[in-house]
Amino acid sequence: MKNDSQIAAEFMAAGRSKSCPVIDMHGHYGYFHGIYFPKPCADGMLETMDRCGVTCIVCSSHSSLVDMERGNREMAEVVSQHPGRFYAYRTINPNYPKTAAKEIARFPEDPGFVGFKFHPSSHSYPVTGASYVPALEYANEHRLLVLSHCWGQSDTDGPKLFSKVVGKYPSATFLLGHSGYGEWEAAFAVARKFPNTYLELTAATRVSGIIARMVAEVGSEKVVFGTDLPWFDPHYGIGSVCFSRIADEDRRNILYRNAERLLAPFRGSGSGAPATAPRDAVCSRKLRFRPS
Amino acid sequence: MDQLEIGDSPRQGWGPLSEDAPALACARAGGRIVPGEAAAAAPQLDWFDCNCGFGVPAKPFGSVFASPADLLDELDFCGVGEGLVFHLAQQHESPQTGNELLLAETAGQPRLHPTWAILPPQTEWKAGEFLEQMKRRGVGALRAYPEEDRYRLDGVTFGSLLEELVGRRIPLLLGPQWQTVGEVLRDFPDLTLVVVNHSDWGDDRLFRPLIERYTRLYLDTSNYQLERGLADFVRRYGAERLLYGSGSPNLQMGAAMLTLAHADIPDEAKAAIAGGNLRRLLSEVHL
Repeated sequence: MKNDSQIAAEFMAAGRSKSCPVIDMHGHYGYFHGIYFPKPCADGMLETMDRCGVTCIVCSSHSSLVDMERGNREMAEVVSQHPGRFYAYRTINPNYPKTAAKEIARFPEDPGFVGFKFHPSSHSYPVTGASYVPALEYANEHRLLVLSHCWGQSDTDGPKLFSKVVGKYPSATFLLGHSGYGEWEAAFAVARKFPNTYLELTAATRVSGIIARMVAEVGSEKVVFGTDLPWFDPHYGIGSVCFSRIADEDRRNILYRNAERLLAPFRGSGSGAPATAPRDAVCSRKLRFRPS
Repeated sequence: MDQLEIGDSPRQGWGPLSEDAPALACARAGGRIVPGEAAAAAPQLDWFDCNCGFGVPAKPFGSVFASPADLLDELDFCGVGEGLVFHLAQQHESPQTGNELLLAETAGQPRLHPTWAILPPQTEWKAGEFLEQMKRRGVGALRAYPEEDRYRLDGVTFGSLLEELVGRRIPLLLGPQWQTVGEVLRDFPDLTLVVVNHSDWGDDRLFRPLIERYTRLYLDTSNYQLERGLADFVRRYGAERLLYGSGSPNLQMGAAMLTLAHADIPDEAKAAIAGGNLRRLLSEVHL
């Protein structure tokens, strides 16, 4: 074995690294169509995070992608039960601008929310569209994060579209979810040009060599780690980072340093305290409807 | 019939940290991993990649491993001992060209075990002659690309060959074309079929019914990213049906390694998936 990464050695030996924690900037929550999840709620997600050395995760619930009010409420409850482990994005569905306005107005009410989640592909609405503007203006005014799905060749959230958006809101921080999967160079160009734009690794981690290309072309300071948990086992993405041809300092930037810097302004909102509510309190309501 | 011989590979897997490496201190306590206590170390695993290859792609997806040397370099970087390999020309150009290139380029590389791509006997290769060539040239497993090569992988087209594959226990590797998988196994339920590169959306609802029905259906783990998917699968079906595969050069070789190394399954199960199952399957082949 010729990989001389100390971080890789630690993860391979123990499944986690004492010197390199992991922060997951792209999570979800709960069940979703089209895929079997063994344990997609707080209890299972925390078990997995512990197993993989993931200290905290920033999520939007799957429900919020369909019904943003219900889903954002669910996520607020999870965050309140697990402060410091779960943070959240408030999902904005641009197809319901009045409801979106209410969700934006509610933003200060829920500690642990760090910004907004956009999924233009799912909502069939371009990230350049007017219905996203109120959330973008709010994010800019309050220096929030915006995690948006960003997939190659998409006419609603392809990486080139973000070059028309991110520069208008320089105080917001944009995470290109999936790094413009498949249209890499365009995503790299946006992240290179705009200081407030980062590449996010969910799903991209499967592609061999792509992390090394990101580091070479954009710099590891502009790449953050994510998993879509409860979709993907964090060890899959961590393994990809560990076995990319990059330096350990780059691995640290990707796995936690950049995320720590981005989350620092929000750490005061409910971080650190141990969870007092039983795990999976929210999810247990759903479990009643599962076949035994 | 000759039994296929699989070369011994040096153990190059990741072992426990050496004494001078930083001690990692984590252990489960009440369901939580608590810093400061010992974690279960990963077992020594002897990796045998069932799904890796090289060649020049017309349109690169990820890394380009143009030659066996490139692939071997990645295997060494990750600590993988052996690979059951394909040549990209088999899929992207033609089985005729790719099969020959693969044998020529892996000659003298005992860690790389070649697979051949099949074509219908009605147009190209009669089963008997094809199997004789496999035996003579030391090819112990096959791959099928029915979409690229535009044929139906079923008993009508491949009956004579598939019957031989069943009798000789020759593994056939196929992509996640689940309808085709179901149809070919319905006709040949004892076929040793390895489905590789399944979808990252999670194909469990598609393959689990087939796993329950067909005892010689196997899955590679190259893209089995599902959170706790490996553990959930092994708990229900055991470890015998999973084979470590990397999907290289398209997929990142180490990703599936770390996923397996720390899946919540017994060490014996990890060893079986990492390489033991594939070695067993190949040892059963009679050419």
